[in-house]
Amino acid sequence: MAPDGAPAAPGHAVLCTDLVKVFDASGDPVPAVGPLNATFAAGRTTALVGPSGCGKSTLLRMIAGLERPSAGAIRIGGGTPHDLARRAGLAMAFQDAALLPWRSVRGNVALGLRLARRPADPARVERLIETVGLGGFGDRRPAELSGGMRQRAAIARCLVSAPELLLLDEPFGAVDELTRRRLNRDLPALWQGTTAILVTHSVVEAAMLADRVLVLSPRPATIVAAIDVPLPRPRDEDDSALRERIARIAGALRTSAPGRALAAQ
Amino acid sequence: MNAPVTRRGTHPAARIVVRAGPVAWQVLSVAGLLVAWEALARLNAGSYVLAGPVAVTRYGVEHAGLLAHAAGITLANAAWGFLWGNLAAVALAAAILLVPRLERCVVALSLVVFCLPLVATGPILRVALGPGNGPQIALAALAVHYTTLLALLVGLRAVPRSWLDLVESYGRGAGAQLLHIRAMAALPYLAAGLRIAVPAAILGAMVGEFTGAERGLGVLTIRAMRALDVDATWAIALIAAGIAIVAYRAFGALLGFVTDPPALLLAAPAPAIRRGRMRRAGELAVTILATLALWQGGMDALGLSPFFARRPGDVLAFLVTDAGAASHRAALAGAYGETLFYAVPGYLAGLALGAGLACAVVLAPGLATIVLPLAVALRSVPIVTTAPLLVLALGRGATGTITIVAVMIFFPTLVAALQGLRQAPGQVIDIFASYATGRWRTLALARVPAMLPAFFAAARMGVPAAILAATTAEWLATGRGIGGLMALTASTSGYNMLWSATALVALTATLAYALVARIERAVLRVYGPEQLAR
Repeated sequence: MAPDGAPAAPGHAVLCTDLVKVFDASGDPVPAVGPLNATFAAGRTTALVGPSGCGKSTLLRMIAGLERPSAGAIRIGGGTPHDLARRAGLAMAFQDAALLPWRSVRGNVALGLRLARRPADPARVERLIETVGLGGFGDRRPAELSGGMRQRAAIARCLVSAPELLLLDEPFGAVDELTRRRLNRDLPALWQGTTAILVTHSVVEAAMLADRVLVLSPRPATIVAAIDVPLPRPRDEDDSALRERIARIAGALRTSAPGRALAAQ
Repeated sequence: MNAPVTRRGTHPAARIVVRAGPVAWQVLSVAGLLVAWEALARLNAGSYVLAGPVAVTRYGVEHAGLLAHAAGITLANAAWGFLWGNLAAVALAAAILLVPRLERCVVALSLVVFCLPLVATGPILRVALGPGNGPQIALAALAVHYTTLLALLVGLRAVPRSWLDLVESYGRGAGAQLLHIRAMAALPYLAAGLRIAVPAAILGAMVGEFTGAERGLGVLTIRAMRALDVDATWAIALIAAGIAIVAYRAFGALLGFVTDPPALLLAAPAPAIRRGRMRRAGELAVTILATLALWQGGMDALGLSPFFARRPGDVLAFLVTDAGAASHRAALAGAYGETLFYAVPGYLAGLALGAGLACAVVLAPGLATIVLPLAVALRSVPIVTTAPLLVLALGRGATGTITIVAVMIFFPTLVAALQGLRQAPGQVIDIFASYATGRWRTLALARVPAMLPAFFAAARMGVPAAILAATTAEWLATGRGIGGLMALTASTSGYNMLWSATALVALTATLAYALVARIERAVLRVYGPEQLAR
């Protein structure tokens, strides 16, 4: 069920075909991604995990239309990422929350509607602030909030425009462990039914949030393993079935990047 | 919070003593300064150098009406110049945002205009615009536009990447980024830039009045100097300084500033991407051509008489192809060398003294109680307007000019260096403390490196200021050097020489500015890489 009680926006599958990204700023080409083929199932949450610097954020930015692929294509529901962005069917959460310091929580959430060129809807904004657990904090500025509260506000801003595709770039990377556990447990319900893609370096987080985890190789990123996590929500970090998936994801990561220290928490 | 007071006990009376301490010190030091000033003035009575507080106050009271009227006119001119100059800066920043390729060229042209010696542009504007308020307003506008433009450009870019990505992820473009993100994020920078512009506008207006206006504080200054009226010179200079301080403070309060704007506000415009040698040479050529085209085209468009508004070709002929070109060049070079002989040592001394005193304050924090309020107040004084005082005090020789230049550079450097020294991250200082490192070593190894970016920003902005100070002192007082040459040729209609000197001074200031900016970037690459990022 979507946060405001209305049915979730219909999800789209995301299709990456022979996707390649090469950075070439200083005449010294650096391959970042690919060639990579992947399908992100409609209405499901997919996590991308991989060693740091492997190009997973670049992949996410290409899906968001923020970077242009060097070769290959991304199709979302029959269109390009740019088509989806132009009709504001996309919402992205950033590691630093990206809240504007001069706007209140309410103003930041409402900005999600304004940027999406939707009519103002104060009632919906209030409902979302309530839903992410920030009731009573609508007038606060981001600087007055804790890191976890800021991420909640950022998620509310994403969801207020009822996106068809939700992109999360290490959204809880900068919050403390306890808060992170709580967010991992509480927040996924809010976007259930929406196609969501999550980038994280935490194996536990990937298993907690995702229906499917794609393990990436070191740069340039390709997919080396796909592990399904068909467990009911809310999930429990100490559940043995989840623990088993975590071990499998961590094992795939180890084979993908041997010799690297893993953030398996 | 009681914690800081525990050292002295938590008795309420003790707390009041702690809080009253610095204020009492300030009152005492101000009183001490006044007494010393009066005593010094009495000792030097009859030497036409120093007027004591009593004499200055007497003059001020006796001529209150005249002074108030003149101050009102100067303030009005400064306000109009402030308005036009800042509007121009906003328009230029908008043009750069719309067409980013324009940036280098626009900033360079703006810098050249900023580096024009007011001493020469004043008389030229006077001939062009007549005896009214036009030249004062134009000079005030010229004096403020560049710093505001820099502050705006820094502010428009001081935006985290993710904020821009956020807007773009909704399929919105540069327009929405400007509206929702950049314009809002730039506001504090604009406000701080406008605040810096307040004393600069007053300075521009007063220099404009020096060039033969009919009313204003600058006019009274010139009259008082000619009449060797020491009381009047002192009273007028103090009033001008006071107006600048009050305007700076009031403007800060109006915009809700509690502290001074960060020194790095005027960070060097970052070179966007490392460019090839050919590309840079191309940009330089375009900038030079644009400057010459603006010079020639602007004068043609305004229909200015070639009699006083000489074109690039006239200057070239005067210095290269004319029969007497060699003697022209020799005269110009002699004056130019003399000015540099004063300006360079003064500039370096100002930088060294400013940074040195800042370090001393860090080593002996007690010093801060006396130095800081004074420095922050005097920093907003357009020093050039007090040039007549320094000339009175130090004579018309080398010492006077060098001192004026040094004082002009000293206060901004001190304030910037102090801000920089405080930039040293607390954790780094804690590490040093955990090894019981001495104050000197902590200063040298942790604080001074953290200070360098702010110091070099001050050094760069000080280049045009130093040349302004040197030429104004020569013009008003010593009659030597290139400032003296410009004053002489302006009054004898030797416009070829005047324009040649102007071009030479502007070129020197621009090149020196670019040189310091280059050193600054090399330093920033090591000591403040985050400030080079866009």
